[in-house]
Amino acid sequence: MRDVCIVGIGSTPFGRHAGTPIEQLAVRAAAEALRDSGVDRGRIGALYLGNFISGPLNGKEILAGIVGDQLGLPNIPCTKVEGACASGGIAFRHAWMAIASGQCDAAVAVGAETMTHAAGAQVTAALNCAMDNEDDAPSGLTFPGLFGLAWRIHAQRYGTTRAQVSAVVRKNKAYGLRNPLAQMGADLTDADIAASAAICDPLQLFDCCPTSDGAAAVVLAARPLPSDLQSVPVDILASVQTRGAARIAGHPDLCSFDATVSAAQRAYAMAGIAPTDVDVVELHDCFSIAEVIDSEDLGLVPRGQGGAWALEGRTAVDGQVAINPSGGLLAKGHPVGATGVGQIYEIVRQLRGTHANQVRGAKIGMTHNLGGTGVACTVSLLRRAA
Amino acid sequence: MTAAAPSDLTLPMLRCASCGYLDTPSHAVCRACLSTNLQPVEVPAIGRIVSFTTIRRAPSRFRDQAPYHVAVVDLDAGPRVTGRLAAGPPALALGARVCALSAEPTDLLFTIRDNS
Ligand SMILES: [Zn+2]
Repeated sequence: MRDVCIVGIGSTPFGRHAGTPIEQLAVRAAAEALRDSGVDRGRIGALYLGNFISGPLNGKEILAGIVGDQLGLPNIPCTKVEGACASGGIAFRHAWMAIASGQCDAAVAVGAETMTHAAGAQVTAALNCAMDNEDDAPSGLTFPGLFGLAWRIHAQRYGTTRAQVSAVVRKNKAYGLRNPLAQMGADLTDADIAASAAICDPLQLFDCCPTSDGAAAVVLAARPLPSDLQSVPVDILASVQTRGAARIAGHPDLCSFDATVSAAQRAYAMAGIAPTDVDVVELHDCFSIAEVIDSEDLGLVPRGQGGAWALEGRTAVDGQVAINPSGGLLAKGHPVGATGVGQIYEIVRQLRGTHANQVRGAKIGMTHNLGGTGVACTVSLLRRAA
Repeated sequence: MTAAAPSDLTLPMLRCASCGYLDTPSHAVCRACLSTNLQPVEVPAIGRIVSFTTIRRAPSRFRDQAPYHVAVVDLDAGPRVTGRLAAGPPALALGARVCALSAEPTDLLFTIRDNS
């Protein structure tokens, strides 16, 4: 396997892009990443695009080919990948593999989604395509509902409180206020969160990520790097993808995701580092309680302590391990297929030292992208180049 | 609808004739041994609550039913299933014993058993 670096990044703001076709968002992000890298388009050997529901919501497929065409890329393989909310992370990993395996010397990974133009019920129905529609969906379960189930178990087993989970919401919403790409930053009190609409017990509206449009892209290249690079490169130490249970009944424990646990373990082993080496993390906080669970599954926080660590400020930018300084999905937004690539974008900014919520001296960063009922997961570890 | 007592209701499952693994009917092969020789069986619709939630924002096809309670139940027979819970149980401890009031594949409805 060859060593691979991230050499360029680009992103649209996450939020509402009414009237902008999805492929134009993707092309805008990818063009920004190519300009940021300085890599000539003629050197790009593959493009991977992560998207989840452009078919049902836009009536558009073959997005990877459309984007490659509009970017004026050579006659290279352009491939769309799908793994629900993990689609972007999967696109990134495939681009890394294409280069690491020697198939090409440079590649583009892009993620894109548009959702805000569709009616709420239409979006819910499209998202539910990632649920088990034989055994789980007939009960009327939703994705917030899945995390309501998990929250109750976490609360009973570990004593996790509403105030602890609200600390996650307040932290991420506050970071979102300072992230220029974020959709829904806010300065919230516990009372604001408790007073927001009840979605499914115990989740209130502010416990849930918004519906978003957006695209993000990165350019990857093999070492030795091209001499015409314009940006500080970031090393990819590991990128791992795992499968978890495709239905509720498949999870032996509803408040832990096997796919996350195994992806993290393999990523640490591949990179030759320990969880305590990680300075900054962008993880999949589709719901507030998900950040609590993910932080434990990734081995960053002791099991059962995710809520307590958030309330004590140990997951803040100046804490023991900075979690979601972008604002996370809760505040930055969750344009589903774009999220995994957007996480890479945020970590690269941290490792370049140019983030709006900069973690001082950040050297090693992690991304965690989780799809469906935990059926698909990617974990990547990145390091500031020496 | 039969006049049977709720705890007499059964749920359809598939039992692998090769290795005995029991799973829900939505399977073509046994996940334990990949055999396709799966026999329909009925198991008692009784078990314990793993967790539950109350859905207040429902998908469009269930909108007229909201709010409703969804529970994950570990059947005594083994399989874990997702269904509805009849009454709102805000103070309920997880692990409570439940039995089915309805055991149709599209209408699996549990209720708390009075004496566990
Ligand atoms: Zn078998």
